[in-house]
Amino acid sequence: MSSRRSRQSSSGASRISDDQIIQLISKLQQLLPGTRIQRSNKASASKVLHETCNYVKSLHREVDDLSDRLSQLLSTIDADSPEASIVRSLIM
Amino acid sequence: MHTCSKLKREFTKKWVKGLQICCSSKKNIDIMERKKKIKLCADIALASAKNATTSWSIALISEAKKNDESAILVDSLIGPESAFKQQKTMCHNKRVRSKKILKKSCGISQRMKKMGRPHKSSNLATYIAKRLVKKRTQVLQRLVPGGEAMDEVSLIKEALDYILSLRVQVDVMRSLANATEALNQSNIS
Repeated sequence: MSSRRSRQSSSGASRISDDQIIQLISKLQQLLPGTRIQRSNKASASKVLHETCNYVKSLHREVDDLSDRLSQLLSTIDADSPEASIVRSLIM
Repeated sequence: MHTCSKLKREFTKKWVKGLQICCSSKKNIDIMERKKKIKLCADIALASAKNATTSWSIALISEAKKNDESAILVDSLIGPESAFKQQKTMCHNKRVRSKKILKKSCGISQRMKKMGRPHKSSNLATYIAKRLVKKRTQVLQRLVPGGEAMDEVSLIKEALDYILSLRVQVDVMRSLANATEALNQSNIS
């Protein structure tokens, strides 16, 4: 692997070893939905990073949609029902 | 993972507290306004539930403090212990700037070296792969709060933690939304 050169050039106390990065990338891969059983080499590292970015973006979008939904639900909640007062006392 | 359920509890407590603070006025709030407040509360609650153990949460909180409205929320949610100190961000910004200059100069010198050598096909492949990884790392840096100031290894570690926390956030928000919907529907029927 040509990237062994990076071990000599890395500065400071922490040596960024290839193994460390490979381990971290495989951990990332396990978190992603639709995990594929693949050996992580340089090529799939970029794939894992790409899917991680997509996953984070989709999680952001979900939070956004859920906030939307909650906001609409809270505004249409029926004013006089006892359940509404429970929810209202909880969060408003 | 017991840490996940603990995070869930912390996040839920803080989020509910935050919602009570900022959504306390009556129903005449615009839907978009309320949505922004809900989302803001959720993000701040998530970061403060981490209690300054991760860089992304520190970055998120210091970003929120810059805005007056969210600063009030932050103060009431993170409490007096305030493991999130402001001095850290000042050092961060300086470090970021000098790191960027360093990175640019390193990148240029590396590129010059590569242009000089004759390319074998395997070298080219690794070169392309490395550039792809670099590109994708940059995108990830923009997605994770405070990512610009991190090196590769910390970025991946922070991204791991950030994804887990985001999942908790989505779970709790979804449960509340479903519960409210169920309440609504049982009312109508």
